[in-house]
Amino acid sequence: MIDVLISAAVLASMYGLIAIGISFTWASIGMLNLAQGFIFTAGGYTAWLFAQYAETLGMEGPALSVGVLVFGMGGSALAGLLVGAVAFLPLQDRANFRTRSLIATLAISLMGTQLWLVLFGSQNKPLPPIFGEGRFEIANAGISSQQLGTIIVASFMLAAVIMWMRSSRHGLQMRAMMMNPLGAAVVGVSVRTTGMRVLAISGALTGLSSVLLAQVFFVSPTSGTQPLVIGLIISLAGGLGSIPGTVAAAGLIGLAEAMTARYLQQSLVPFVLFGIVVLILIFRPRGLGGLLEDVRE
Amino acid sequence: MRILELQGVSAGYGPVRVLHDLDLSVNAGERVGLVGLNGHGKTTLLNTIVGLTGWQDGSIIFKGEQIGGRRTHGVGRTTPHIVRKGIALAPQGDAIFPGLSVRENLDSGAYSGATWRSRKRRREKVLEVFPPLAKLQRQSAGTLSGGERRMVSVGRALMADAWLYLVDEPSLGLAPKISVNLVAALCEIDLGDGAMIIAEQNVPLLEGRVDRVLGMHAGELKLDAGESLGDIPPSAGVHL
Amino acid sequence: MSNQSQRLIGRRAYRPHWPVNSSRVFKRRRWPGTKRSILKLSGRYNPKTLRREMVLTDKKPLFWFVGLLALLLLPIGVSTDRIYTMFGIICIYAAINVMWTLIIGTAGLQSFATLATVGVGAYGAGYLSVTYGLPWPAMLIAGAILGGVMGWLISLPARRLDGLYYALLTLGLSEFMRNFVTQSDALGGKFNGALFGVARIVPSDLLTSSTGQALLYGTAFIALLIALGVFRWVNGGRTGILLRTAATSKEDEAFASALGIDFNKERTRVFIIASAMLGFLGAFYATYIGGTSLQIFSLELLLLLLAMIVIGGLGRPEGAVVGTVVVVGITQWFTDWGPWRIMLVGALALASVLFTRNGLFGLKDQIREIRERRKALHRAAITGRYAEYLPQQAPEIGDKSEIVGRVFERTLRARLRSWINPDLIAEHQAKPMGQHSDHLERMLNYFRKAPIPDKYAVYCEVPFESYRVVALSGLPGVPPRIVDDKIYPTLDEAYHAVFLRRVNDLRAS
Repeated sequence: MIDVLISAAVLASMYGLIAIGISFTWASIGMLNLAQGFIFTAGGYTAWLFAQYAETLGMEGPALSVGVLVFGMGGSALAGLLVGAVAFLPLQDRANFRTRSLIATLAISLMGTQLWLVLFGSQNKPLPPIFGEGRFEIANAGISSQQLGTIIVASFMLAAVIMWMRSSRHGLQMRAMMMNPLGAAVVGVSVRTTGMRVLAISGALTGLSSVLLAQVFFVSPTSGTQPLVIGLIISLAGGLGSIPGTVAAAGLIGLAEAMTARYLQQSLVPFVLFGIVVLILIFRPRGLGGLLEDVRE
Repeated sequence: MRILELQGVSAGYGPVRVLHDLDLSVNAGERVGLVGLNGHGKTTLLNTIVGLTGWQDGSIIFKGEQIGGRRTHGVGRTTPHIVRKGIALAPQGDAIFPGLSVRENLDSGAYSGATWRSRKRRREKVLEVFPPLAKLQRQSAGTLSGGERRMVSVGRALMADAWLYLVDEPSLGLAPKISVNLVAALCEIDLGDGAMIIAEQNVPLLEGRVDRVLGMHAGELKLDAGESLGDIPPSAGVHL
Repeated sequence: MSNQSQRLIGRRAYRPHWPVNSSRVFKRRRWPGTKRSILKLSGRYNPKTLRREMVLTDKKPLFWFVGLLALLLLPIGVSTDRIYTMFGIICIYAAINVMWTLIIGTAGLQSFATLATVGVGAYGAGYLSVTYGLPWPAMLIAGAILGGVMGWLISLPARRLDGLYYALLTLGLSEFMRNFVTQSDALGGKFNGALFGVARIVPSDLLTSSTGQALLYGTAFIALLIALGVFRWVNGGRTGILLRTAATSKEDEAFASALGIDFNKERTRVFIIASAMLGFLGAFYATYIGGTSLQIFSLELLLLLLAMIVIGGLGRPEGAVVGTVVVVGITQWFTDWGPWRIMLVGALALASVLFTRNGLFGLKDQIREIRERRKALHRAAITGRYAEYLPQQAPEIGDKSEIVGRVFERTLRARLRSWINPDLIAEHQAKPMGQHSDHLERMLNYFRKAPIPDKYAVYCEVPFESYRVVALSGLPGVPPRIVDDKIYPTLDEAYHAVFLRRVNDLRAS
């Protein structure tokens, strides 16, 4: 049972980061960033490039790990800014922003896959293990250092971001922005500047998820699609815009996936996940955290 | 020193022109009242100064710097930048953040680095001006009454280090007693080198409390009544 | 007049017209069995040539006819394998996109479940054919039924979920279906999701000949025609008209439902019909190729289809078809560009969404809107408040005598205004009816000739005791509105009150 919980926590950590990025972007600037798959892969490839370069320098150990993480997050943050420059800034004060930015991010997604194909080829690229090879024992179950590291790093980053949002000036401005655009303009909050910041932060979170996931899978041009879809349905189930709801949904989905893989079959996982999300949406059309959204609107 | 100087300012929304070639100037330390019926351009004038109209034309000089000019699109795109030069607006309808607490709403007014660091002190000063807010600090702003909302909106404007305060219809929709207190508190604030423009429909509220009264009619400034408020016809400030 | 204002002169669209003999009775040609005319013709009197003529008010059927004819004849004319493949794909994808347009445009449901439904039809019908040996007509029907059922299933959450949530949910649906098919052995899991041996609409042995190829392409073209027909039937029919009563906003929708239009029912109906067609097209695709593959569920294909309708213009069938031609043209023709083809398509879709309001077919409206806005701004800047018209507007007004009338009215009003003085008003108050001075008489004549909508009148509540001033509405069945709550004890006072209001309005105009 404990190993199921561990698996669940690991999965929740990895996919939850993307889901929170999507949720957060929607909450602040009202844009649904479906180019997260592109951003995800960008982080993976940047980290890989760094790893290649670092290997020639002979770097290893914690320095290598930190470098991989930093470059992964940085690459994704840059990709997020690029998406912002193309899909957010030009459309931000025009009619039908929601739909048009959605389509624009989908177009970027389409182009992005091809771009990676051209730049890096279709072969899978591995990332060096960043948490070492150790194993630990927790309450009668084994947990690898990779799993432990994933959970710790993800939770730490998430907590850091949330705390920053609650207590800092820019965080306050981000929260205020979507609630009342006129009010935000009047207190000197430029939707454009703040929106780009939001995209950079959600990009960094996605990049972190990419590096963590690449410990298990590989980086390839299409490696972003599945995480994007899972991240999407997690943020749907959690309620777009509700961070607590998304965290809860990530935990739930992680648990569901871990339990299905363990007690049923791996192949049934997509069914179960989809079924759970549909169930949640039937009873709570706005997701788990939907109640909180009403206050904002 | 001239804080604000408008020359030949026109503004409107789409094909409708609301302001027609206005000239206006406000000096340091002045408190100016802007009166007139609804729909005649008071709010549009305040919005034009910060760039929130559909289109505008004409020169607006704030502390020697040109912030106006011909602009035909992008409502509110330049507003944050203009505001950061030192103009604070308490808009009509309050525009507060319903999901944040009263304290957070006030804090959002201290948007620059320096004001943010001194926000506690500023908040205390605002609470001196509006005592009822003191016990509402942790309450969510979406649950406040009309008068309390107005206080939060005006208080937020006061949190910044502004040279020019623009207050749009502070008494709109409020009970008479509350609006008297509100406008009185507003007019007692020490402006120092700054200036304030209050747009009001209710003329008697401003009596004796402002340095100058300007009347607005059909998009043009009609009176520059440093003289008496008695020159303004009673119908100009019908207050239901 | 300066160059700038010349650019702002308005234009009227060209409509084909030809003179007719006005003494002959015009026979209206209709589609057989229906009451719908074939072309939207209307007769009018041409004020310039002083003859009666016929005007074609809707040029779209001409464009459709020429376009579809080209689409049919071009590949048959050129008759190479490559062209046939390309145009076959164009027809099938265009048909799918037309149905998607029906869902997004007419029903207003942002659904990404298109390919999932097509896949259900393809795999379902394909499975039935492989396992039970169903012939192709039965396959098509089976596909339609499967599509309809799936449509009904997916439409259930649409009522509960917000539009955006629904879009995301359906986006995940394709992935889910792909997983399902990969896992399921019966549906081709063994061959990595491909299904072979499906009954074909044109028997394989015939396909080697050129007539066989032409025939195969013909079936695809017919599928497109059927899709367009269904679109026209739904969108132009009762359902579409009802749905369009509230196309613009949620408030309109609440208002229209209060009138008895059940939006949910109509939307669901459109969704199910479109989904049934999508299933049909999926089954058709299976018979066209003789199999199916997992590619149908790929996100990339879905995004390509999206690019097609975005480039063409959302909500219009002509946009769906033209967008498909553009995108499939690029991807199928420039095969040696490799991944750059899809990059180009993505870039076009991006450009479409960034710079145009609604793709290629929205360009005309967009340019017109930009021009109108510039004109309006220009006019607001240069005119005073109450100019009747500007010389630049003249070409826009069809009936030139209206311009003369407006100018005359303006001069007249100015003159009347100059005659308003307290003596005149006192004269009217003393004697509202009867002989008046010249100025007063002219003014009264002008007032009495005003158009009925919003014209002041006297309403008699109790004869000889109480009268009110009202304003007539000018619309049949709509009562006049009461102007204020003053009651006048005599008719003369009421007349004078009406006069005063009219004078005030004259002064303000």
